[in-house]
Amino acid sequence: MIQKKICMVGVFATGKTSLVQRFIYSKFSEKYHSTVGVKIDRKEIEVAGTQVNLLLWDLAGQDKFHNVQGSYLRGSSGIFFVVDGTRRETLTELAGLRALVRESVGEVPAVIAINKADLEEQWQLGQGDFDSLFGEGRHVLKTSAKSGVGVEEAFLWLAGRMLKS
Amino acid sequence: MSVSDSRESAVSNEEHLAGIDIFGTTHPGKKRTANEDQFFIASLHKSMRVRQSSLEDLSAFARLHASFAYLLVVADGVGGIGGGRQASSTAVETLAEHIGETIGCYYNFDVDKEHEFLAQLEDAVQRSHDQVRHQYAADGRGPATTLTMVALMWPRAYVVHVGDSRAYYLRDGRLRQLTRDQTAYEELVDQGVMTEEEAGRAGLKNMLTSALGAQFTPAIGLIDLQAGDVLLLCTDGLTKHVPDSDITAILGGGGSAEEACRRLVDLTLERGASDNVTVIVGRFAAS
Repeated sequence: MIQKKICMVGVFATGKTSLVQRFIYSKFSEKYHSTVGVKIDRKEIEVAGTQVNLLLWDLAGQDKFHNVQGSYLRGSSGIFFVVDGTRRETLTELAGLRALVRESVGEVPAVIAINKADLEEQWQLGQGDFDSLFGEGRHVLKTSAKSGVGVEEAFLWLAGRMLKS
Repeated sequence: MSVSDSRESAVSNEEHLAGIDIFGTTHPGKKRTANEDQFFIASLHKSMRVRQSSLEDLSAFARLHASFAYLLVVADGVGGIGGGRQASSTAVETLAEHIGETIGCYYNFDVDKEHEFLAQLEDAVQRSHDQVRHQYAADGRGPATTLTMVALMWPRAYVVHVGDSRAYYLRDGRLRQLTRDQTAYEELVDQGVMTEEEAGRAGLKNMLTSALGAQFTPAIGLIDLQAGDVLLLCTDGLTKHVPDSDITAILGGGGSAEEACRRLVDLTLERGASDNVTVIVGRFAAS
């Protein structure tokens, strides 16, 4: 079976772990646990008639104590960037994270999930911010790990692009 | 004092496995008559050792019998009347045997083989689980055991974890827990079904939701260690009595891995040691 590694990348507390939990186990925890190092989960899915084993590397979020390590990104076929719509700084730091990914694995398919769509009334991002993120080989969409909105779509889009590339 | 322990201190010739000091110890505690905990520390080596040669310089061959990896395991058996001890013993033996047979070929693995390597570690834990069930109770009602394993291929530490034993690391004075307890307490608080207070009062901290020999969901993770880091694996006999702040002070207090282990166990004993207590400390020399 085809195996593809996806890395979840973003600033701390953007909801990376929650998105993985929603996608794999269809559950959501209100309690926040910061990820230490990398947690690895897998999910087998079918993409256009092909069985794919997705290996989801949930990387600890970037914070003042540590930066995302490029060594964890090696071997990734796709990147799942996560931004917290309620915290503008998580978008500001995205540029640096994307540069790190390019440096580590080159241009690979990527999703940029603007997460916490269930709190959209508190968002600090507007349409202009969305427009600036679109580009070749990446998909930008709103997600909510809490409600499930956009989560399946995001992972399936990324899996599809990884298979094509 | 009934203490069994083992030492594996080494200064490896491998480029990155420099100056590792590892020590483990276990104690039955003050309330239990039997010790159902187990620990295991092993270094894995490349195989060639030169016995005789006419070559003038044999130093290039030294790396071929240096350690290329370490395996650290703690397990805490559950199931009374000796069953827990049998379960933890069977689990650790099976795991170590399988890893000894299969991991040797990964001494030079690259990123493409990393998932194959992780799959081997998972397979080893799965075999341990199967063996415990096969040996003691196929219906999952027999003795069971927690198991927390670190396979260290410097600088990467691969962690496979089942139950409520723990792995931590200390870096720059900050202690971080690498594992999350697989208990009813954690699960119900996470899901918002109970508050921490309610779950604590209900005694759910000791109720495992995952264990070898019973319902079983291994968690897998990894971290890249740095020179100066300290790694700790322990059973819950330690963390019932010694909070993170004390663990931080002891691990950060300098001294050898053996001294840190002794201090952790002594502090547990001073505070009542209601359970068996097992610790492994790994110190990685500062550059």
